[in-house]
Amino acid sequence: MAEGSVIGQGTVVRGNVRGEGSLEIYGRVDGDVEVTGDVTLGDQASVRGDVTGARITIAGTVVGELRGSEAVILERSAQVTGDITAPRVGVEEGARARGALRTEEPASQSTGRGEQRRAAPRPLEMPRRVAEPPVSARAAEAPAPRPAAAAPPPVSQKRPPPAPVVPAFRGLQARKKKVRGR
Amino acid sequence: MAGTLIGPGLSIDGEVRSEDEVVVQGTVRGTLTSRDAISVAAGGVVEADIEAAALSVAGSVTGNVTANERVDIQAGGRLIGDVKASRLTIADGASFKGNVDMEV
Repeated sequence: MAEGSVIGQGTVVRGNVRGEGSLEIYGRVDGDVEVTGDVTLGDQASVRGDVTGARITIAGTVVGELRGSEAVILERSAQVTGDITAPRVGVEEGARARGALRTEEPASQSTGRGEQRRAAPRPLEMPRRVAEPPVSARAAEAPAPRPAAAAPPPVSQKRPPPAPVVPAFRGLQARKKKVRGR
Repeated sequence: MAGTLIGPGLSIDGEVRSEDEVVVQGTVRGTLTSRDAISVAAGGVVEADIEAAALSVAGSVTGNVTANERVDIQAGGRLIGDVKASRLTIADGASFKGNVDMEV
């Protein structure tokens, strides 16, 4: 019974889409999408609103949260602005994302979702641990911005010294900062 | 498939606009517009004003309908609302309540 639905390329929906079965979106949805089955978003497609489903595969653009009870997969053409929550998350090289990432079961879909989400403000735990080098290492790398030998430890500074790091690393740090500030 | 299929179990509250064919097996509330044909399959429910090139109703439609070409209400289909179309067929076993404007 739970047959799949398709929102074609030439179709625009303004409002909420809800129900059972899977959903493929090749057009545009301005509103929330909540289905029990899988959600596939084509590379020309866009959603402005939250997307909830079992396995969510994104090749297009989303401005809103992604909540997959099984998985969220961002393909290389994906562009996501919003938090991602799913037990398994896959991000292909080239995909762009901005928001908090939680590899955990999304809070129950129907009741009290908002409160539970707010009660768990733990953004980007893993990347923080991985990306940040030990403070001592960073201090050693830094080009000593001040002549004073007893420069304050970088931890207490508002922003870390402009360490001569690889650009990619710097980008990561900048992004992390933004996310943390949200 | 270029068209749009609103499967059984899916419901859309709001506005649906399409350049291509739309098949409704689920539920649409709000407005439903297509430059191509719209068909409301058996079991499909539309509570919306409809604008389309052509409309075929085998499910249930509540709302006013404007079709450039034609409206077909099939056996088992139900349409409550005014119809504006140059051609209209109502099959034996269909139900219809509303006004008809065939631009005569």
